[in-house]
Formats: sequence, structure tokens, C-alpha cells
Amino acid sequence: MRAARRELALVAAIAVVGLLPLFGVPGFYRAGNLRNLAIDNLPVLVAGIGMTVVIISAEIDISIGSLFAVCGALSGLAAKAGWPMPLVALATLAAGAVIGAANGLLVARARVPAIIATLATMAILRNAIIRATGGAWIQDLPAGFQWFGLPQAVAQPVYLGAAAALFLAAAWALRHTAAGRSFYAVGCDHEAARRIGLAPGRVVLAAFTIMGALAGAAALLNFTRYPTIETNAGVGLELQVIAAVVVGGAAVTGGRGTLLGTLLGVILLGMIGTVFTFLHVNPAWGKAIQGAIILAAVVSDTAFGKRERDD
Amino acid sequence: MTEAPAVRPGSAARWFPNAEWILLLLLGAEGAAFGVFGDHFLTAANGFEVVRLAAEVGLLAFGLTPVIKAGGIDLSVGSMMGLAAVVLGGAWSSLGLPLWLAAAFALAVGAAGGAFHGLLITRLRVPPLIATLGTYSLYRGIAEAVTGGYGSTSGFPAWFLDLGQGYLGGVVPVQLPIVAAVFIALWVMLHRATIGREITAIGFSPEGARFAGIRTARATVRVYATCGTCAALAGILYVSRIGQAKADAGLGYELTAIAAVVLGGTSITGGRGTLQGTLLGLLCLVVLQDGLRLSGQPGEIAGLCAGLVLLLAIMLNQSWSRARRASQVEGLRNPDPKSPGKFKMKNSQIAVLVAAILAGALLIAGSNWWLVRSLGRAPAGPVPPARRITVAMTPKTVTDPYFVTCREGAAEAARELGVDLLWDGPEYADPAIQNEIVDGWITKGVDVVAASLVNPKAISSVLRKAQEHGISVVTWDSDAETDARAFFVNQATAAGIGSTLSDEGARLAGGRGQYAIITTTLTDTNQNEWIRAIEERMAAAHPAMELATIHPCDGQRDKAMTEARNIIRAYPGVRVLIAICSPAVPGAAEALKQEDNRRVMLTGLSTPNLCRSYVHDGWVGSIVLWNTRDLGYLTVYAAAAVRDGRLKRGDSAFAAGRLGTLRVEGDQILLGKPFVFNRANIDDFRF
Repeated sequence: MRAARRELALVAAIAVVGLLPLFGVPGFYRAGNLRNLAIDNLPVLVAGIGMTVVIISAEIDISIGSLFAVCGALSGLAAKAGWPMPLVALATLAAGAVIGAANGLLVARARVPAIIATLATMAILRNAIIRATGGAWIQDLPAGFQWFGLPQAVAQPVYLGAAAALFLAAAWALRHTAAGRSFYAVGCDHEAARRIGLAPGRVVLAAFTIMGALAGAAALLNFTRYPTIETNAGVGLELQVIAAVVVGGAAVTGGRGTLLGTLLGVILLGMIGTVFTFLHVNPAWGKAIQGAIILAAVVSDTAFGKRERDD
Repeated sequence: MTEAPAVRPGSAARWFPNAEWILLLLLGAEGAAFGVFGDHFLTAANGFEVVRLAAEVGLLAFGLTPVIKAGGIDLSVGSMMGLAAVVLGGAWSSLGLPLWLAAAFALAVGAAGGAFHGLLITRLRVPPLIATLGTYSLYRGIAEAVTGGYGSTSGFPAWFLDLGQGYLGGVVPVQLPIVAAVFIALWVMLHRATIGREITAIGFSPEGARFAGIRTARATVRVYATCGTCAALAGILYVSRIGQAKADAGLGYELTAIAAVVLGGTSITGGRGTLQGTLLGLLCLVVLQDGLRLSGQPGEIAGLCAGLVLLLAIMLNQSWSRARRASQVEGLRNPDPKSPGKFKMKNSQIAVLVAAILAGALLIAGSNWWLVRSLGRAPAGPVPPARRITVAMTPKTVTDPYFVTCREGAAEAARELGVDLLWDGPEYADPAIQNEIVDGWITKGVDVVAASLVNPKAISSVLRKAQEHGISVVTWDSDAETDARAFFVNQATAAGIGSTLSDEGARLAGGRGQYAIITTTLTDTNQNEWIRAIEERMAAAHPAMELATIHPCDGQRDKAMTEARNIIRAYPGVRVLIAICSPAVPGAAEALKQEDNRRVMLTGLSTPNLCRSYVHDGWVGSIVLWNTRDLGYLTVYAAAAVRDGRLKRGDSAFAAGRLGTLRVEGDQILLGKPFVFNRANIDDFRF
């Protein structure tokens, strides 16, 4: 019951924010709007799954915004080269996984602290893509690229279903499999994890590889919404994702966090902008409100959680 | 009880306990490489320019060093610069305080903002990363909310502008003594005062420090307050350098500052770190950027190299400190003077790696040098000049597709004329970066600077400085103050763009109803001028049109799509969207397409290639633009002609290659009026 405290606080916060549109322009709760909200936030959720695993392992990855853009551009190049879409998808995930694994090696093998290693790869990847494309978009993609060639009315539910399946599978695996628990063990205490026979280096490497592959998946879910690819996308995505994960209750010191919390964090932060548009709030207030909500969520947790930690 | 023999460390170990001397080698390598390949790199003037470049990020990095050494982090320092800038401007212009008092007030806000972090972290036990991630949004958000994003203060008195722009005795930038004073104060605090030892103890083990009787909460609050004050001071210097106080000051500076600190050997997990290390780390990054600029390399190469240097230096440091720790353990277990042998091997490894970095830098700089020379032997164009001239061209951002097409035209003209073209601009429309780029070109000694200004107030002063150094200046796309340039290549004025967009919008909406604008960011100077022009034209010519809302898309198509969807649902009265940012038009068009909304019309400012299919399918009614390829082409022609005297004030016509003869009015070369692209004509244009 204790572990669910954060989730309950988030549900309450979502309920409060969710009541606000009743005082604004009608239409927030129309199915079309909710579907849009969900589709728009799928990339954040999918990347958030990976980030949860990384943060539970007591690491962090701030390169995912750049990785997201690189994966998107690669998927476009593959599609333009005439590869069939399933192969494009696989190649994108693989590219993400490889770059993620490079981050993982830097952290696990070369012992570079994660925030520095991924700060460096963030700069390298972002500048490399500017260098390679000169800022130009990738255009004239084959017709089968957008929505994988499906009609939009079919594709959107498929995307939502795929993300839901991924989320449930990840949540189950993280909670109930030995591999999933190993992230918690390593995040809690490297040395203790080693003593019970885990290889912390490999676990950390796995966490970054998963993160990379999921950043690739997020890129696919995002870029296949369009007939062209914006190569400068994903700026600031890392902070959006990290904010959702930590608001969802994952501890940046490692060892604590749930995917349910991340889901709720994504929902809360993802709905704020749209809710305030429906309330006709001046968008100049957007950032301030977002910052205040992040702080409020985190502070409320520590206020509730204080006694718990002192046990 | 036996006492361990006291070993007095050598002077290198005393001053650079974390192997920061590696950075000295790196700095030497950079100096050697750029001395060869950069133009005017090894000059006193450039040395002082480097100081100026380093001043603001340096203040952030110095303030961050104690924070990181105490095991914390502060992501909000860039945002605090923005908040301090707005507080300074507001207190001076709106509250009417004297400027020095306004500055003191801004510093106090910085201290309070920092202390707030300290309280969140110590009282409420919020991890520093999360607390400052929240205030990263909050502080910038407050600055934007108070000013609406666009509000700005300028017209500061000369003594204040001298802080950021002036030279003491004509040579030393005024920032230098200020930053040096802060450095010394912080150095004493960190390395000679009690609180410095407390910070070290907290960094290694907060619990242990508490049990040792240190008032950890008080020390932590002080450290963060110091950091916030430094950030506010950086904000004030930024305002003085740019001459304008606005909410976007210091955007993105936090990551560079953190990189400088960790590159300087401060451990991100706390406990270890020196201020002199941070200084070296900072210089390595800034010299790298400056040197690559003087070697004619664009900004993205500097970004790439900075990332690589950061990785390599930290990896080196890690392997070195692991080796040292191993040898120390070895030494304790087996006090035998032979063990340092292991150490020497590590040193040679380091030497090899440093050599590798140097070789890499040489390779990059050298390849460019060779490329320029080999291009120089290419057949000259129709007007072979006695000496190849260098035209340095800066767009507002290098990532906007609009400017990508300008660059194609510019490169075409450069080939025809046989001039060297440099192309560099900020990644995101940041006036400070553009200011630095032009400053670098002045040192490099280019012949012509052709600038599309991110912000006229912020860049005009540096263009005047270029003219003082004998560099010809033309502006294109977005003009400077008129005395800061010889000619303006004018594709359209803000009023022209505004009225064409308004007329198109009103036409598509049938003359009445609400309209909504999707802009880049609320702080973007040019976009805000266009918005004002649109509103004025609408009020004058289309009184039945009413502005519903203005939403920013951060220059990202993804966000433009989301915002467009939200607007058409939340503002049912909106009949037409006007998107004034090139990725926003395809983003909004995709939103209309996916919503299957034929009721709301869309027009805006974008390139034909990005919008072609949407225009054909009717999702975009029309787009307004000029031929951006021709704009780049014409600019290079004008720049070359101004340089060799073929184009002078008073001329009424100007022949520009394939564009034929164009009209010159006063100090403006006219490309023509903004053009409306629609289904009928869009296929005639390929850019």
C-alpha cells in the first residue's frame, strides 16, 4: 500500500487538472481530442519506459533527444533506399540500440559518469546530424512510410495498442522477472548486487541498450505520423521524459520507481498544455506552470514520504 | 597505533589534485594547432576576445563548481540568467530604480532563487537534479510570463553597456576584472575558507559531514545561493553585452557550464574538484570553439569536437585516478618505493591519448586548410579578383529549412564569382551566439560580413565594430540599424510580410472571424515584429478579423502539430491559422489533414518544398515567401560588389548574375515583393 502512495497522489493531481477543462471551452473530453493527446504523448511514454529502467539502475541518459532525431533520420534514409517498412522499423530499433549500447559501454566499461557521457553523446549526435543534413528535412519518402502505409483510422488504434502492449510487457517484466529485478538491485547497491551474483556492468549496459532501442521506437512512432522527416526534432525531449519519470516517483538515486508512476507522470505533464489551451490561458505562462507542477509533485511526495524514509 | 608517514605532494599534485594538468596539455595542443590553421589566433586581441566569450559561461561554471563539489547540481543557472535579465530591465525601466540598484536587486533575486534550491534540497529532501529541473522551467517561465516573452528593455546608459562591450585602456575587456574578482573570491571560499572544507566533506559524505558536526543544511543553502548570485551576475553581463534585457538570456548555457566544470576535473558525484580546474576546462572549451571559428569551421564542428574532448578527457581522468587509487592502496599494503613504476606507464598512456586528440584536431583543421587551398586553384569566375575575397555569411539559425535554401543560393553565387564563402550561425536563434560568431570573424579578418540579424539591437554594435576594422558589412533578410551596414538586401519588410499574410489570411477566411498565430518562440524578435505588422494590417484593412491567440511551437514541427490541433478544438471561432515559422506550416497542415478539418484555413511563411503536397491537397491555402535561393545568391553578389567598389551609395541599379539587373533604392537592394505561392504556381519553384 505504501508503494502506491505516489501513484495515488498523482491520480489525485490528474483528477484535479482533469476537472479544470469543465470550466473552459467544451470539447476536451471528446474522443478525438483524447486520442490526439494520447498519440502525441506516445513517444514520451515509450522513451519514458526506457528512462525508467535507466533511472532505476541509478543512471541517467540525457542524449535521447539527439538519439531520437538521429534514429528518425536513419529511418527516413532506409525508407528512401527502398527498404520494406518492417525492415526499416527493425533497423531503426537496432540503430537506437547500438548507440544506446555505446552510451552503456562508456558508463559501464570506461566508468564515465552517466550524466557526462550522455551530455557528450548528446552534443556529438546533435551536431553530427546538423553536419550531415545541413538542417534540411528528408523529403520524398515512399507513400508507405506515413502510418506504415495503413489508413490513419486504422493506424492510430494500432499505435496505441502497440504502445499499450509494450508498456504492459515492460511493467510485468520489470516487476516479476529476475532480469527486471536486477535493475532495481543494481540501482540500490552495486556491491550488494555483485555479491548476489549479478554483473552490475552488464545490467547497466542492458539498461542503456534498452533505452536506445526505445528511443528508436519513440522516433518511429513519432516520425511515421508524417510524410516527411524533420531532422531537427527532439530538442529538449530528454528533459520532458526525465521530468515525467521523476514526477512519476522514480528516485534519481536509483532502486525505486514503477512504470505505472511513469505512465501517470506522462499523463499529468502531457495534458497540462492542452488543458490550459482549452482554458484560454496565455501560453506565456506555460513554462512557469509546468515548472510549478513538477516542483509541487516532487515536494508533495517528499512531504508524504518523509516518515517512510526515516523508518 | 602507527601513524602513516606524511607524504608531501609535489606542486603539480597540490595544484591539480585531479590530473587537471592534462587540460594544460590539451590547451597547449589546441594553441599549437590553431596557431597554424586559424587566422590571427595567436594574437593578444584574440586572447582577450576569448576572455569575453568565456565571461558569462565562466561565471556560471565558477558558481557551479562548489555546488557540484558538494555533490549537487544546478540545471537552472541558464534560466536564472533570463530571470535576472528581466528583473534588471523591469526594475530599471518600470519601477524607475537607478540602474545600480536594479542590478543589486537582480543579484538578490539570484541569491534568493539559489537559496530556494538549498531549502528544497535540505528541508524537503528533493534531489538537486529534480529541484533544479523544476526551477529550470519555473525561472525561465516567470521571466517569459512577466514579459509575455517579447517584452524587452534597452536604451541602457553607456557606462552600463561598457561592462559588456568596452575595453579598459583600449585593450582589456571590462568583463575580465569582474570575472577575475569572482574567481578569486570563490577560490578563497573553496580552497582557503572553512566552508570549502565543509563543502568537500559534504561532497564525499553528507551523513559523515553531519556527524562530524558540520551544519550541512546551512552550508548547502549558502553554496546554492552563491551559485544563483553568480548566475544573476552572468545575466547582467549578458544584458550589457547584448544591450537588451529579455527573457531568452542564457538559453542553453547550463550544459556548457556543467561541461566546463566536469571537464575541469570536478567529480560529478562530489568531493573532488578545484576552481583552477574549472578555469582550465572552460578555457579548453572556449579556445576550441574560438580556434575552430578562426579556422573557418562552422559551429557544429565545434560542438562535435567539444563532445569528443569531454568524453576523452573524462575517460583519461577516470583511468588515471583509478591507477592512482590502485597505487595508493598498493602503497599502503606494501610500502615499497618501487610501486610508482606503474604510475609512469599510465602517464605515457595519457601522453599517447593527448597526442591522439592533437592529431585529430590537426586533421580537422588541416583538411579544411587543404580544402580551401585546393578550391583556390579552381577556375575563377567571370570577374576574377586580384585576391580571393572571403564573404562570411550568418543566418539567424542554421537549422531552419528557410536558411538551408538561402545557403544553396549563396554557394551558387560564390562558385560563380570565385569568392570564399563562410557560413555559420546559431543552432537556435540566439543573439549572443551570433554576436560571438561575428566577433570571431572580425578577429579572423574576413572581407565582408553578410548578416541576417537574430536581433537588431544585439548585433548592430558588433557590426559597427566590424566596420571599424575595415570589414564591409551588408545585411540581408533581417536588417540592422542603418549605420551598422552599407547595404541591406531587402526581400521584404516586416510591414510587407505582415500585410501580405494578413490579406491572405483574411481572403481565406472570407473576411471575417477569428485568426490564430503559431510562432517560433514568444521571445523571437523578428516573429514578434511580423505579429505586430499582422495585427496592424488586420485592424486597418480587415476589421472583422479578430486575433484569438498566439502559440509558440519552439521551431519544432511536432509541437506545431499539437498546438494547431489544440487551437482548432479549443477556439471554435478560429477560421484561419497563420503560421510564421517554416516548420510550423507543414506541422499545422498535417494537423488539419489528420483531423480532416476543411473548415479552418491555413497560410503562413514557409518554403515551397516543405509545403508542396499540402498545397496541392488543399490543406494549405497559400504560403507567402520570396525566392530564398535567390536571396542567398543576391546577397553574395552584393557583398562581393560592395567589397570591390562596384556597388556604391547612390547607384540605382545593380547587375546580379542570373537575376539580371535589380533596383537599388537608397541603401537597399530590392529582391522584390513577398510572393504568394498557391496551387497554381507552386510547381514552378523548386527550393
